[in-house]
Amino acid sequence: MYPIISLSVTGLLTLFLGFSENKKIVFPASIAFLLIALATAFIDWNAPGFYFNDMLQVNNTSIVFWAILIISAILIMGFSEGFERFEFAQPAEYFAIVQFSLVGAIMMVSFKNLIMLFLGIEILSVAMYVLTGADKRNIRGNEAALKYFLMGAFATGILLFGMAMFYGATGTFNIGSGVFIGGDNSFFLWIGCTFMLIGMLFKVAAAPFHLWTPDVYEGAPTIFTAYMSTIVKTAGFVALFKVLSTTFSGLQDFWWIMIAVLVTLSLMIGNIGAVSQNSFKRLMAYSSISHAGFMLLALLGDHENALGSIMFYSVVYTLATISAFGVLMVVSKERIEKGRVYEQNDLFKGLAQNNGFLATVLIIAMLSLAGIPLTGGFWGKFFVFRDAASSGLFWVIIMAVLMSAIAIYYYFKPVLLSMSKKTSLESITINPLAKFIFAITTFGTIVLGIFPWILRSLF
Amino acid sequence: MISNLPQDFSPILVQFLLALGFVIFTIIITHVLGPRLKSKQKEDPFECGIESEGDARTPLSVRYFLIAILFVLFDVEIIFMYPWAVNFKSLGWFGFIEMLTFVAFLMAGFYYIVKKGVLDWERD
Repeated sequence: MYPIISLSVTGLLTLFLGFSENKKIVFPASIAFLLIALATAFIDWNAPGFYFNDMLQVNNTSIVFWAILIISAILIMGFSEGFERFEFAQPAEYFAIVQFSLVGAIMMVSFKNLIMLFLGIEILSVAMYVLTGADKRNIRGNEAALKYFLMGAFATGILLFGMAMFYGATGTFNIGSGVFIGGDNSFFLWIGCTFMLIGMLFKVAAAPFHLWTPDVYEGAPTIFTAYMSTIVKTAGFVALFKVLSTTFSGLQDFWWIMIAVLVTLSLMIGNIGAVSQNSFKRLMAYSSISHAGFMLLALLGDHENALGSIMFYSVVYTLATISAFGVLMVVSKERIEKGRVYEQNDLFKGLAQNNGFLATVLIIAMLSLAGIPLTGGFWGKFFVFRDAASSGLFWVIIMAVLMSAIAIYYYFKPVLLSMSKKTSLESITINPLAKFIFAITTFGTIVLGIFPWILRSLF
Repeated sequence: MISNLPQDFSPILVQFLLALGFVIFTIIITHVLGPRLKSKQKEDPFECGIESEGDARTPLSVRYFLIAILFVLFDVEIIFMYPWAVNFKSLGWFGFIEMLTFVAFLMAGFYYIVKKGVLDWERD
């Protein structure tokens, strides 16, 4: 609960820091504010409780997720270099919006009441719409922001409609308070469950609610693409898990088939769609759709383990995604075409020869996303497969394994390009902070690949 | 006792049908009853006053929209203040402090946009 207050106040402070004479202060101050929020998160450690009229539930599990969200934000913001390279940039506003959006994400992982869930999703989404269009003069960015906003607004409407139906059926917005299921009102409960799932699955980009993903990921500035694909996904899946495992757990006979079909669709569309992409950001967008499918697998299994699996998967996915987008950010700023940074796959041509460190980071990130053993991604997939297997859904698992085989093909495209001889780049400069973040994410990926129980034993 | 069987929602359905019925009724009845006179002047968006000129899709200064958004800020503030004013006595000091916090956040935002120069019409 404390990080919510802390981030709201420091977010405002960051806005006003933008007026100060010294523009350079905003970036270190924002990182410091995020670190303060991280520290305040642990005030409630081992002191579980309810806040705001029992609308927020704080326990150690939610604090772990708060920490994951805030640390991911810090790692991603580290690449911003204070947005000095951005044209017409408003760094203070971007950092403030990032802090406000974290408030939403924190509410999404610790809500106890559907009103809080809605508020959290809205705070996070509205911030994302703005950040997508952060590059004001880029026509692709504007298009992406508008598309994301319109579709997201409709998804929110559908989510709200589902909540209204849920309220009509049960007479409460509280989740997990022994909802009576069956009888005459179960019809409304089904509608509520389906519509709430649609609204939330849109936010995590699961097929068939994925159509916005490639355009938005491509149009948004890369740093915010990274933010969107990690923070929103982590928070969204925890919210999905909380809703499905508490309130709707009695309806499992009803929703499991929907989730199973969604897993299959997400995996097929994500993995097959990614194969023919030339733009690295579009490739990562389709990969994010397929990872949504993998994370949904965990929801099909036993709920005792599912949260741990989701946590592990989102951590390894976050680490690998930050590495991949980070490399893209560092390399693409070296090659400007038509006034824009160049973000196609062949940007990485000859990267290994040019800068071995960046190539290693990229290769390990790609291996982890593909799920090759000795990287965290392998164990992430292993845990969700094990969860799904515990409920005996073997046809879904066979599908998922087949699709991860396809995934290896397109994840290896940038890897092979980076190995090629011909280089199209001058020497690349990395600033020390970016180097440090790469070291953390890559090291984390490998450590979690060798000792996955470090993180799993938290739950 | 809250009961929430499907038939308990029937008033909503009735209201919806009534609203829809009223709209359809008005549209049809004005066409049937209303006298019809057609001329070029009648088709104009504005019959009297200055003659309309050019296209409606001319770019307007973004400041008009900013002022409109600024209005929403105070609109929302008032919406929250009415129920507070009604329950002022029963909420007591707790309500007062909560309201102060709310207004402080709101005013911080207001101060920010004023400093950003939203009300500054002369600038570039």
